[in-house]
Amino acid sequence: MKKLIAVMLIIVTLPVLAVCSGCSHTRSKTDPTMLNIYLASEPNSLDPALTIANDGMIMLANSFEGLMTYDKDGSVIPGCAESYTVSDDGLVYTFTLRDNLKWSNGAPLDANDFVYSWTRAADIDTAADYSYLYEILANGRYDSNGYFIGLGDGAVVASDNGKTLTVTLKAPCPYFIDLCAFSVFFPVYEPVVTANNPDGITPGGWAVDANENYVSNGAYKLQAWDHDSRITYVANENWRNADKVSVTTLNYMLTTDQTAAYAAYTAGDLDFMQNLPADDLSIMIKDKDPELHIVPQLATYYVSLNYNSKLYDKLGLDEEQAKVFRHALCLLIDRKFIVESITQSGQIPANSIIPVGASNGTFKTTDYFPVDDYEANVAEAIELLKSIGFKFDDNNKLIDNISFDFACSGNNLLVESIQSDFASIGINMTIDQQEWNVFIENKRKGDFDLAYNAWGMDYDDPINMLELWSTNSGNNDAKFGRDPDKNLDWTVYDRLIEEIRSCTDKTARDEMMHQAEDMLMDTWCLIPVYYSAKPYAMKEYVDGVFDNVLSTVFFYYATINAE
Amino acid sequence: MVKYVVKRIFLAILTVIVISMITFLAMNAIPGGPFNKEKATSPAVIAALETRYNLDKPLPQQYLLYMNNLIHGDPGVSLKTGRNISDIIAESFPISAKLGLSASLFAVAIGLVLGSIAALMRNKLPDRLIIFFTTLITAIPAFVLATLLLYTFGIRLGIVHVWSPGKSNIVLPVIALACYPMAYVTRLTKTSMLDALNQDYIRTAKAKGVGNTKVIFKHGLRNALIPVITYVGPMIAYIITGSMVVESIFTIGGLGSKFINAITNRDYTLIMATTIFLAVIMVIANLITDIVYKLVDPRITLE
Repeated sequence: MKKLIAVMLIIVTLPVLAVCSGCSHTRSKTDPTMLNIYLASEPNSLDPALTIANDGMIMLANSFEGLMTYDKDGSVIPGCAESYTVSDDGLVYTFTLRDNLKWSNGAPLDANDFVYSWTRAADIDTAADYSYLYEILANGRYDSNGYFIGLGDGAVVASDNGKTLTVTLKAPCPYFIDLCAFSVFFPVYEPVVTANNPDGITPGGWAVDANENYVSNGAYKLQAWDHDSRITYVANENWRNADKVSVTTLNYMLTTDQTAAYAAYTAGDLDFMQNLPADDLSIMIKDKDPELHIVPQLATYYVSLNYNSKLYDKLGLDEEQAKVFRHALCLLIDRKFIVESITQSGQIPANSIIPVGASNGTFKTTDYFPVDDYEANVAEAIELLKSIGFKFDDNNKLIDNISFDFACSGNNLLVESIQSDFASIGINMTIDQQEWNVFIENKRKGDFDLAYNAWGMDYDDPINMLELWSTNSGNNDAKFGRDPDKNLDWTVYDRLIEEIRSCTDKTARDEMMHQAEDMLMDTWCLIPVYYSAKPYAMKEYVDGVFDNVLSTVFFYYATINAE
Repeated sequence: MVKYVVKRIFLAILTVIVISMITFLAMNAIPGGPFNKEKATSPAVIAALETRYNLDKPLPQQYLLYMNNLIHGDPGVSLKTGRNISDIIAESFPISAKLGLSASLFAVAIGLVLGSIAALMRNKLPDRLIIFFTTLITAIPAFVLATLLLYTFGIRLGIVHVWSPGKSNIVLPVIALACYPMAYVTRLTKTSMLDALNQDYIRTAKAKGVGNTKVIFKHGLRNALIPVITYVGPMIAYIITGSMVVESIFTIGGLGSKFINAITNRDYTLIMATTIFLAVIMVIANLITDIVYKLVDPRITLE
């Protein structure tokens, strides 16, 4: 009996021994040619035309190169193009490509590749979210409802020798050169794209796995893609600056679990990490951790209020009074508390919808309300509410009942802070936490009173922010001009946006953009909360990583000081 | 037996069809859609995507189209990533299966041994220890255990990589997944073993002079196995299909995480394919369990 039990015990301990044999490696010293990176979970796509999120765009920016690219100081410099000229009317751009450009498989790359790639990215059959960016080109094709469906003839033309690319715009566009460095404008290799889309339903079929189909033209090429676990890139020897790349392998960890990623970072398995978990981030900030970096972002986080909400009828407010009401809500938010105690990582209290820094060289943001003196703001808010008939007791608490829902998905602490700001004068706000997909759907349908919102700009020009609120824009979450019974004449705004798009004079254009923002802010339907910033953690032995205003991070000139 | 198996297979197919219908109705009933994005997509682009994936057709037609393609071996492409779903399953299922089967094997092997020890040494120290620890383990959810293991071995002791650019180490995830079923199997084995050892036929066997080992293994354990088998079949299916949290903590790209992401993304084709696939596994596991009963205990008649 005893012998039997002894044998059984040995069987039990075997797996425990297996654990230790499986982990016999010791943590190696940093390899100076390898960077391990965490950005986010699995990217939705690695096809430049179809990628929509920051993580995928970072991978693309390190593996593809457009006509233009970014320098270490974040400025736009020639990439595949050697130089370019602009016609006097600002409509025709002529790019001269560098000699001997090659794809990662060694095939030559010329201007015709750009003609193909741009035409494909803009085409409705590709159904790219970012295809609308190509609307600035001349001769665009539109469907019967007036929606853009592709490039027309003559907008993008390659010379016979493939050396120059001529692009004609619909109207002068101050950010066109920036777009030439944006992922949707990267070239793709036609043979693999067409070969992997036999039925026309898989336009991104070439870019879903690491194999001979995935051809790129930038600093790195895709080596391995272990879906939902890891992606490995290796240096592309055919890139024009290949000799300047010292980190020859990039490994990206893919997980939705930020805590697991941070654990890997702490354990030394990662060298770079963005999307830090909130708790760990606040500890890093408190400790003034030298590995923490915070860079400004071109993004505004704001609360959108539905212009056509039934809330105002319920409160007995007409359209003008509703504006005053929303103005009061705007003043009641303690932005300083939010950035200092909740977000904590370099965000700036916002008092305009166009983020500070979205300058395009000349545009200056307007201060629509003060943010420094919160007490004064609350006092003014109370006066505003009194002016539209709400009654307060001696302690400045509302006697009337004001209650509404605030739709959001996540962002608990921040929304709770807004809730308590409102509650401080007796406004009753219910937080309506929704599943993300449902939340987006409700915002699009206009099924909300207040909703949490954010917009990260796709290029550095205020128009990107302003065109969201054209009557027919899908992002018009405030639903301006959607209810014919309202007095608000939003066609004025639509016309203004059209004028801005076709304006040739930069000063006049900036002036019109100010007018448009004034119109938006006058409705108080968009309550700015903060201008965003992006924190990331990077080990001190890593050097030479740089980024741009769109939060794209570039790793190809990184160096690692191995011990 | 053959008649029974045929009947069960027919019922299994019916089950899967019903599951596919319910899934299809449920996923179309919940609000949201596959093309909802933070930044709104142009209506023209959405229309193009809906045409591409047949989402512009009436629901019954969509269902029939999908099932028809599925029967012909084409589960379609993921609406979110554009990958072929057959590729997604072919690549992620082996990972989940390897993880799940290893964990099941681990759980059953150790559970049977510990359960037998506890039964044979009833009320002595080993029994008390085993029952104490299994009770403790039953109270810890797999994801807590996974985090603890990762913290201890990955960060504090530094003997495994939390994440490595090479292959995923599956030892820790296997332990995390196996502990709960292992504890359950232990307790189940102990109870049924005690039950079996008190039976008359054991006394008879001993009286006939059959050796101790033979009595325990051939007469005791074999009879004690029946309740364990009842549990093990569904357990294996459950571990294979339900390992998403552990997969996510250890960054292992198995089928579980795909299943959850498909639902959040309203990736209709992927939801259908993964649900049907997982349903098939569940059904097969149950079918095998029933057949194994018969093999272990010839007295059970399958009708």
